[in-house]
Amino acid sequence: MYKLKYGTAAVFKYATLLLGAFAALVPIAVVLFASFKTNKEYSTTSPLTLPENWFNFSNYSKAFINGKMLLGFGNTIFIVVMSIIGATLIGAMIAYVLNRFRFRGRNILIVAFLLATLIPSVTTQVATFRIIDSLHLMDTRFAPILLYLGTDIIAVYIFMQFLDSISDSLDESAMLDGASYFTIFWRIILPLLAPAIVTVIIVKGVNIYNDFYTPFLYMPSENLQVLSTALFKFKGPYGSQWEVICAGIMITIIPILIIFLSLQKYIYNGFAQGSVK
Amino acid sequence: MFKNLSYKVQRRLIIFAFSLIPVTLLFTFAYLPVFNMFKYSFTDWNGYSKSYDYVGFENYKTIFTDSKYFSVFKVSLYYFAGSFVQMGLALYFATILSTSVRFKNFFKGVMFFPYLLNGVAIGFIFLFFFRPDGTLDTLLQSVGLGAYTQGWLLNPHIINISLAGASLWRYMGFNFIIFLGAISSIGKDVYEAAEIDGANRWHQFRHIILPSIKSIVQLNLILAISGAISAFDIPYIMTGGSNGSNTFVIQTVTTAFKYNKLGLASAMAVVLLFIVVIVTFLQRLFIKEEK
Amino acid sequence: MIKRKTTIGLLTVALVGSMLAGCSQNNAENNPTTNTEGTEQTGKGPSGEITVLTQRTDIVDTVFKGYAAEFNKKYPDVKVNFQALSDYEGQITVRMNSDDYGDVLLVPTSIPLADTPEFFEPLGDLAEMSKEYIGLEERAVDGKAYGIPIAVNFSGVLYNKKVFNDAGVTKAPRTTDEFLAALKAIKDKGNAIPLYTNYADSWPLTQWEAALTTVAGNVDYVNVEQPNTDENFVPGKPHYELYKVMYDAAKQGLIEKDPTTTNWEASKADMANGKIGAMVLGSWAIGQVSALAPNKDDIAYMPFPTNASEIIMPLADDYTLGINKNSDNKEAARAWIDWFVKESGYSVEQAGGMSPVIGAPLPETLKQFEGTDVKFELQSPAKPGQEGWVDKIDKDAEIGLWQPEFKKRIIEAAIGNLDESFDDIMKDLNEDWVNSRAKVVGK
Repeated sequence: MYKLKYGTAAVFKYATLLLGAFAALVPIAVVLFASFKTNKEYSTTSPLTLPENWFNFSNYSKAFINGKMLLGFGNTIFIVVMSIIGATLIGAMIAYVLNRFRFRGRNILIVAFLLATLIPSVTTQVATFRIIDSLHLMDTRFAPILLYLGTDIIAVYIFMQFLDSISDSLDESAMLDGASYFTIFWRIILPLLAPAIVTVIIVKGVNIYNDFYTPFLYMPSENLQVLSTALFKFKGPYGSQWEVICAGIMITIIPILIIFLSLQKYIYNGFAQGSVK
Repeated sequence: MFKNLSYKVQRRLIIFAFSLIPVTLLFTFAYLPVFNMFKYSFTDWNGYSKSYDYVGFENYKTIFTDSKYFSVFKVSLYYFAGSFVQMGLALYFATILSTSVRFKNFFKGVMFFPYLLNGVAIGFIFLFFFRPDGTLDTLLQSVGLGAYTQGWLLNPHIINISLAGASLWRYMGFNFIIFLGAISSIGKDVYEAAEIDGANRWHQFRHIILPSIKSIVQLNLILAISGAISAFDIPYIMTGGSNGSNTFVIQTVTTAFKYNKLGLASAMAVVLLFIVVIVTFLQRLFIKEEK
Repeated sequence: MIKRKTTIGLLTVALVGSMLAGCSQNNAENNPTTNTEGTEQTGKGPSGEITVLTQRTDIVDTVFKGYAAEFNKKYPDVKVNFQALSDYEGQITVRMNSDDYGDVLLVPTSIPLADTPEFFEPLGDLAEMSKEYIGLEERAVDGKAYGIPIAVNFSGVLYNKKVFNDAGVTKAPRTTDEFLAALKAIKDKGNAIPLYTNYADSWPLTQWEAALTTVAGNVDYVNVEQPNTDENFVPGKPHYELYKVMYDAAKQGLIEKDPTTTNWEASKADMANGKIGAMVLGSWAIGQVSALAPNKDDIAYMPFPTNASEIIMPLADDYTLGINKNSDNKEAARAWIDWFVKESGYSVEQAGGMSPVIGAPLPETLKQFEGTDVKFELQSPAKPGQEGWVDKIDKDAEIGLWQPEFKKRIIEAAIGNLDESFDDIMKDLNEDWVNSRAKVVGK
């Protein structure tokens, strides 16, 4: 009896997982298939038809070279790495302070961070632009970096969630050894936050990586183009060759997919990771 | 004694030092623009001229006396409903993928995958997904549901469901990965204790997982709902707000940049912000009382 | 010390410059203008670095690079950089909040005429420059010209002659009824979509507005009569008649089956291959579509159908080129504008229109109208004191003559997605027009 019940539950579990995976993948499969098709094949076959030749990389080389993807990669990596390091550190710092200390203004600060996330940024873009301009950051890589650094509430909450599970006794015993708060943060808290940091890196990293509007507006110079703007520009000259654009889309997806796959084992590996009690 | 005093000083120092940069950034790039937006909302500024005039509450009067500005909020209801489904799915998948499952890594990667795509890809994918004889129609036909094919964006009764669906598809992975991360912060010993007590999966979820990640779930709910009220990018990319898919934010952007009424658009943004804040506040009250 | 360095630097530049100019002289023997001016300018020609903003993301890395190279033969001391903006209008107005919006740029259509001097450098006396160029009035304030058109376009309907012929329509329809009958014939034939709206891409719908002069049959309507009438969208008036064609075509099922999932790039290929009968587009599109057609002669152009006695194909400016008021290299920027307009060949080859330079040869595309009664005329400018009124009323009323919104509404109503009739929409627009006109004119 128990076994049977367990059986149905398992079937249900795997059925939903497969269904979810299918729903997530089908729309993208269309892009993948198209990227290997020739122009003629693309216009004559249905989107779900498999490409004739899985080794037709001509669209990829066209997209990579003509889209100047390498330049885009360079700028993107610089911006993503700088912003993520900054945002993670800043986020962890403020979360540490908010989680470990009860001080006047603490609640106001939490609400202030939450409220800031609720502002739809498209509506404030002109005001933001004027601020960046008055800081003389226009057309530099630091304009987007600074904008991405602004801590978002989701990072703060993730860190606070993890800090909850890191016992206060750890801090206290370190204090007995005479460690300063800074040492505690740097030596004890930060390493234990690793799984949370990975989550933040992934979520925030993807966001920055894909953001098109900010680099487009704040870094118009050609040599400052990033991957997302490269892809968008690419739509112009190759507008009628969607198979090439699909290859461009795949090129932008692959690196972030690899990074995600290599990082993901750190975030989920069991229930043990986070807490040390 | 000395040590205590030292920690007291240290405490102040670290609170100050660790909040300085985040708070500066927060005020410069989040609150200063909002403050300016408030200011612009009382002007007739066109968005680029060096001069403008103050017009008092004129812009607010315009918004509240013309029903066309508020009628678009009913579109938000679709995204509102969608966000609950999105939360539910994300929680479900995050929970079962934190138990023992075969090909766990594969499923995890796949669930998160849509979130990796950028706007250009999204626009392309869903144009082909929803067009006549596109991906969706082909799929329905192949499983014998051909009778249900539709003008997915053409039919004014369906379009918002289609778009909310696309939005769900794109952002579910985001909630999923955050829930997954949060669930992984729960100590193993808690589960072990529960298993000894003979709790089944549902009980584990209800009494261990959910309470432990409550604040994250709540936050995601707040974000999802405020996101529904200010829905923008999917309908903007896909339809530009036509055929009854217009949202308040699209309307704000149109007012600001197509009709050069940044003053009026700022007033609209202020109204929107107030609505979002009130809804968030009500939501928090509601959740707290339920407890 | 610093000063000396600069002088030496300038000297070197001048030296290299004259060498390069010398080279170009030899290479361009057959071009007398380059020759004489080149010699004159050597050593003291404009120098510096300029940034040129363009909306042509498609050719910025190819054709424009070629232009820069050509330009440098004549002006070797000027370094030209390009920035291509894909959503030009959306981005540029935000950037105009700073001083950094390039040296040479397309004057955004969203900048009202009266505000132009706030952002742009005057290029010269309107009367004086009008001897050389047409189409300057669109960007002229107080007798000064602020922009030179990159091309002058004409507006009408792009169609596939073969599709029309196959459906038994051998002569381009002239009146509204003939046009709708022709579309009907194509539909009955069943091989092609009669009229493609490109609804999903939005901007192609705005191209209809350019045909207003043809429908009115009067070059005065747009700028002179329109701002002085309270009956802009009432039956019998040009706007009503113009969009009635759109509504009727959609209502009778003569447009694409699902307008919400159209694709602009695909539509060009479809028209080239005879799957689409007609599209309402400016002359700039002729070249882009015929380039894709197996038989170039299939792609033809006709005036928008009109019930007026005269057929006027209106000539209108493409974007105009202006100089950023805050530019550090105005001289070099000016050299670029003059060269671009006069010598690059952009207006005909890339914009598919005609050159704004008086006396320049007419493009091939116009030849098919030789010997017909189709007239090509510029719209008359607004009366003195009424410049920019139409735009002001339009913006205040949020009608969006040059925006897609109300066109989409018309199509949605026609295919039954909205509970309103064509007359309801027109009445609504006219009310907004009347209210805002009172406000603007009253000021």
